[in-house]
Amino acid sequence: MSGKAFEAKTLRKTVLDMAYAGSTVHIGCAFSIIELLAVLYRNHLRYPDDNPLAVGRDYLVLSKGHGVMAQYACMRELGWLEDAVFARYFSDGSDLKGLSDSRIPGLEVTSGSLGHGFSVGVGLAMGAKLRHTDQRTYALVGDGEINEGPIWEGALFAAHHQLRNFMVIIDQNGFQAMGRTEEVLRLGSVQSKFESFGFEALTVDGHDEAAIDCAITQLWESDCRAPKALIAKTVKGKGVHFMEHNNTWHYTRLDPTTYAQALFEVTGSTQ
Amino acid sequence: MRAAFSRELVRLGQTDTNMLLLTGDHGYALFDDFRKECPAQYINAGIAEQNMVGMAAGLARAGFRPVVYGLSAFVPVRVLEQIKLDVAHDNLPVIFVGDGAGFVYSHLGTSHQSTEDIACSRSIPNLSVYSPADRFELAVCMEAAYRSQSAVYLRMGKCDLGDVHVAAPPASVGGMLEVKCGTAGDVTFIATGSLVSTAIAIADDGYSNASVWSAPFIKPIDEKQVTSICERSQVVVVLEEHSVLGGLGSVIAEIASEFAPVRILRIGVRDRFSHHCGSYEYLRKEHGLDRLAIAERIRYFLAGL
Repeated sequence: MSGKAFEAKTLRKTVLDMAYAGSTVHIGCAFSIIELLAVLYRNHLRYPDDNPLAVGRDYLVLSKGHGVMAQYACMRELGWLEDAVFARYFSDGSDLKGLSDSRIPGLEVTSGSLGHGFSVGVGLAMGAKLRHTDQRTYALVGDGEINEGPIWEGALFAAHHQLRNFMVIIDQNGFQAMGRTEEVLRLGSVQSKFESFGFEALTVDGHDEAAIDCAITQLWESDCRAPKALIAKTVKGKGVHFMEHNNTWHYTRLDPTTYAQALFEVTGSTQ
Repeated sequence: MRAAFSRELVRLGQTDTNMLLLTGDHGYALFDDFRKECPAQYINAGIAEQNMVGMAAGLARAGFRPVVYGLSAFVPVRVLEQIKLDVAHDNLPVIFVGDGAGFVYSHLGTSHQSTEDIACSRSIPNLSVYSPADRFELAVCMEAAYRSQSAVYLRMGKCDLGDVHVAAPPASVGGMLEVKCGTAGDVTFIATGSLVSTAIAIADDGYSNASVWSAPFIKPIDEKQVTSICERSQVVVVLEEHSVLGGLGSVIAEIASEFAPVRILRIGVRDRFSHHCGSYEYLRKEHGLDRLAIAERIRYFLAGL
């Protein structure tokens, strides 16, 4: 809760600029979590002294490490990353990688191999419970990612130990690497699945910031001792019409034309 | 060795309330004392090893000192990626204890036998690999692991073969321990874990001048000490209840080839799974790792020089 704006269009512009500068992929899966991250950083995550390494901070675990550009954009707003590193993205010797790396202050886990961050987050939440602190842990996972077995191992553990300080946020954009989640490995009702594992769950429009904020608050304020699950219905590539629901933007790099078009759609300007 | 392990767990738990013991639903009676003495520090994570290791990383990040227990077929082998990415990448202080390494579960077949764990784990940066031979080395390894403040895999193999030391050895991390003194210029034996006592017996039988060294630390290992031993020997025989690919034999050969070339005979599992089941002694025989077979192999090797 830093008082920064975390405007969605600013965050998307940062992602576009760095993706273009670095000629990188994974734009679509960064765009689907922009509003989720904006709400978390603006309204919920507590970092004493705005320090990403502060003792007693809340933990945001980006388990779906492929969306890391969206988190970099938020960390830029916070002043944790300087503008120069964005222009140098993917240049030789640069620190910011294409997947989340915990050696960057503000990123809690190294992810990209999927199904890891969720369990680390469960451990962080268990640690906070054992220490009787009021720290909260959020694990942001992809809907494709929940194909991974350790997610469900961790879900059992979180529910068994009543980790009410743990919230998994599922970015349900409906796509994974090779296609639609329903075509690759059908998930059925994600909310029902987490509820059946013992979570208190809500489903929300993942691009409606007011609704996201309200749902997160509602889950934390609940008297239920269960861990929390927020299923966010999102659009992969949200904000740029030719990227939306188009899985090729998991892999496609921007060229001057698509960069200019995308920038115009996101900001209303070509600058 | 298991009693010593239980005692060490209780001692560490009582000394440091940040120490947590995590098990993947293994170690039934082994943790009775720990559960009694440190009940709040015991977590049975269920039959869910991958999540257990990820959680251990989270707990370590939160300031705890997790000791993660499993059978070595599962910890570290099944959870190798979690160890690499969640723990070792940031050098978090998590101790992994892999029990029953080698052919301990001789009747249960390949799923519970573990002869690739050293090879898998020693190439992961920041991860140390310890392999004690008896209860004294176990205590030294546990203490060293806890003091190291970094990630350690501690391999526990066949643990009822008796002691190779008469008292706690004055060990430093990386150092090998001379368990039978010999003279230079002849055959030297280097062994780890369950095969240290076998190496001593073979040396006593036919190589009275040979030194026998126990290697409780596979990684790090004192390269100067290894080099010195290799320089003073015509032949070095390395013995381990582990694959000859990537284990202690490889460690010694790698160092020797760079600093002190010497003929090295690697005694271990010859890149194969067990075909049959039976007693521990039977399995050792099946793999040519019983005393007589090893002694014959050494004789054959030396005759061919």
